[in-house]
Amino acid sequence: MKRITRVRALASTALVASMIALVATGVTSASASPQPRAATGTLVIGTTNSVQKIDPDVVTNFLDFEALGLIYQTLVQENANLQIVPDLATSWAFSNGNKTLTLQLRPDVRFDDGTTMTSADVVASLNRAEASATADPSASFIGSVTNIAASGPDTVVLTMSHPDVSVLEGLATVNLAIMPAASITAGTITKTPDGTGPYEYQSLVANTSFTMVANPNYWGGAPSIGTVELETIPTEQSISAALQAGTIQIGLLSQPTVVKTIPSSFSVQKVLDLSYRALMLQDKKGPLANVNARRAIACATNRQQILQDAVFGQGKTVGPVPLGPYATSPVSSICPSQNLAKAKSYLKAAGLSKGFSFTAITSDALDSTSSAQAIAMQSQLAKVGIKMSIQNLAGNAYIQDWLKGKFQAAFAENGADPDPYVMYGRYFGAGADLNVPAGYSSKTLQQELLAGDENSTASGQAKDWQTLNNTLTGNAVWIWLFDSNDFAAVASNVHGFVLSPVNTTQLSSLATTTLN
Amino acid sequence: MTLFLSIVRRAFSVLVTLFGVSVIIFIVLRLLPGNAVTASVGVSAGLLTKAQLASLDHYYGVGQPAVEQYFSWLHALLSGNLGVSLVYRESVSTLIGSSLPVTLELAAVTMIFGVAIGVGFGMWSALHPGRWQDDVGQTVSVVGLAVPSFILGTVLVVLMSTKFHYFPSSKAFVGLFTNPWLNIQQIVFPAIVLSLGIGAAILRTTRAAVLEVSGLNFARTALGKGVTRRAFVWRHLFLNALTAVVTMSGIQLGYLLGGTVIIEQIFILPGMGRLLISAINNRDFPVVQSVTLIFAAGFVIVNMAVDLAYALIDPRTRNR
Repeated sequence: MKRITRVRALASTALVASMIALVATGVTSASASPQPRAATGTLVIGTTNSVQKIDPDVVTNFLDFEALGLIYQTLVQENANLQIVPDLATSWAFSNGNKTLTLQLRPDVRFDDGTTMTSADVVASLNRAEASATADPSASFIGSVTNIAASGPDTVVLTMSHPDVSVLEGLATVNLAIMPAASITAGTITKTPDGTGPYEYQSLVANTSFTMVANPNYWGGAPSIGTVELETIPTEQSISAALQAGTIQIGLLSQPTVVKTIPSSFSVQKVLDLSYRALMLQDKKGPLANVNARRAIACATNRQQILQDAVFGQGKTVGPVPLGPYATSPVSSICPSQNLAKAKSYLKAAGLSKGFSFTAITSDALDSTSSAQAIAMQSQLAKVGIKMSIQNLAGNAYIQDWLKGKFQAAFAENGADPDPYVMYGRYFGAGADLNVPAGYSSKTLQQELLAGDENSTASGQAKDWQTLNNTLTGNAVWIWLFDSNDFAAVASNVHGFVLSPVNTTQLSSLATTTLN
Repeated sequence: MTLFLSIVRRAFSVLVTLFGVSVIIFIVLRLLPGNAVTASVGVSAGLLTKAQLASLDHYYGVGQPAVEQYFSWLHALLSGNLGVSLVYRESVSTLIGSSLPVTLELAAVTMIFGVAIGVGFGMWSALHPGRWQDDVGQTVSVVGLAVPSFILGTVLVVLMSTKFHYFPSSKAFVGLFTNPWLNIQQIVFPAIVLSLGIGAAILRTTRAAVLEVSGLNFARTALGKGVTRRAFVWRHLFLNALTAVVTMSGIQLGYLLGGTVIIEQIFILPGMGRLLISAINNRDFPVVQSVTLIFAAGFVIVNMAVDLAYALIDPRTRNR
């Protein structure tokens, strides 16, 4: 019996000792070499998303855009101030009453396969995007283009059916990236990315990682980081843990509660992302068909409080155009801040002095702050007698109802754009693709959108877009709420990384980022 | 011969069960709102023209009659073809081939730890009923059952990373034969977390079974005949209690396959659980169907193995 006890004791000791050794060895190696990947020139970025598709013409997932945005390039791009600047096109000019756009291409640009980019590649790329079989979700951005033609090896001419200066803004999306005509013809582009960007595709491990290597032939100068790996880490808490363990150097975060756990040895960048939260209203029937009832909702809403409750104040309240040169200011033309007395007067004007009821759908699966926004707003509206019921739906159920307009009101996180026509033409323009979920249409709005789109002078556009902002908020078409921050926690050995406000190209500064 | 017939009978029931499971999985997936197109492109589906949508419907098989879809899938399945992921456009077999070994390794290590904890503490507890050793065992079982593995896992990850700057699972996962030392570090901590709950259940069963057996006449007779303490404990008590322990271990192993889902998320292990969650979110039907079927197959096969193990452990059951 004693022998058994001794054996047990020895076994227990060995087990405990081996566990301690395991932890200790791991700790030692982690402490001695906190960023082993950095030494080999590999930058690892942790994110909760995963790259899903490698064909730029069909991607819809933000991380797909960000990853492919480092491999592919577009004719023009948006800079940090959300202005259109050259990318593969060095200059451009509108002519023929803004119905023709001529783009001059950058010379000596090479694809990853070593071939030189020509106007034939641009024509083939844009034609592929427009083809129905491709199902490019951004094809509508060049929907007005009736002809794409090469005019010499370095010039491309787009002919539009009507004046459309916003087409330039549309050309900045990765969905309209430039790829080799030969790869398109051969059909290899869906399996083997071949772009002109600072990085080249190396591998995609489904649901785990996406790896790129520096493109030595990049026309802007080869990046100094040899390998960039986007690692999928399912939870933000685990991203924080991986940062602190030194296994990743940048963590992409969205939850302020997690950001607070990041030690001060990391720099935390935050940027307002190019999207907005709004309560979309179906204005065709019921009490919401009454403009004064909608205005009452707009005036009873305390946007600042919703921002605080939903994202701990990490963002700012916004109107229809959240960022860029035409950003809405003030956020609402009728009630920039909560005004309960005015809300009540609108209710009276609507003949609904005792208030009214409606139901709003949310989806925490699509936007984790959705229910928090709804709950905050519910109590605010109750102060003037408006009863808002909340129905939280699964992601795909929400999308189905949203697309069919099967809702009275919907809390939504929508992508934004500095160009109001690109943002709202798809919702409120004549024959708009998303007119059903938009829930509102008016000739005035359509005319205002067209006027801004056809106007190519900066001052003229500013005036047109201010008018549009006033129409949207004055009629309380929707209730625009806030824009939240995105965060990046960056290790001290990473230099030059700047989180871009453009969601789809947030990682663009990796072209010039360095790693100690 | 009886044992052979028993195996054949149970194998047949496994096949029938799996067929039923495949039908249920297929129907449930299609009852959920939404389809693969909206799951893939989200609200951007509203921006597509009718021709574009038709192209995507064709690609994703949306609109094809459900019965046709089912039998087409079943036919492919029986031919060993699990289909192609709608999201990654990669063979489902390839995706599962890289995920399944991770989950199996995690489950195996977890079971080793769980059985060690359960049988060890269970025996210790049962051999000292009402004494402090029993109290320790009971405490271990209550804590193991009461603390959810996802909380324990989260706490462990936070502690390791903040206090020791150590989180081996956050490095790219490596196979056992590629880098054994790193692989062990990546698997051992999630396995410990998972094994506590499993160990607690086995502990309670072991303790109860051993206590029950120790009160039976043959046990008292054995003691009266003067068998050694070691022989009494392991040959008379433990072997007779083993049927209950094996049953509970089998049940726990079955549940474990599903239980790895959350732990794989927390510890960033690229196993079947993560693959399943991602596929569900993306309405990647071929992947969801195949992964769920593999989980179900694992469960029924483990149960069959447990039934067959009875025959080896307890000769009395061979003719039943």
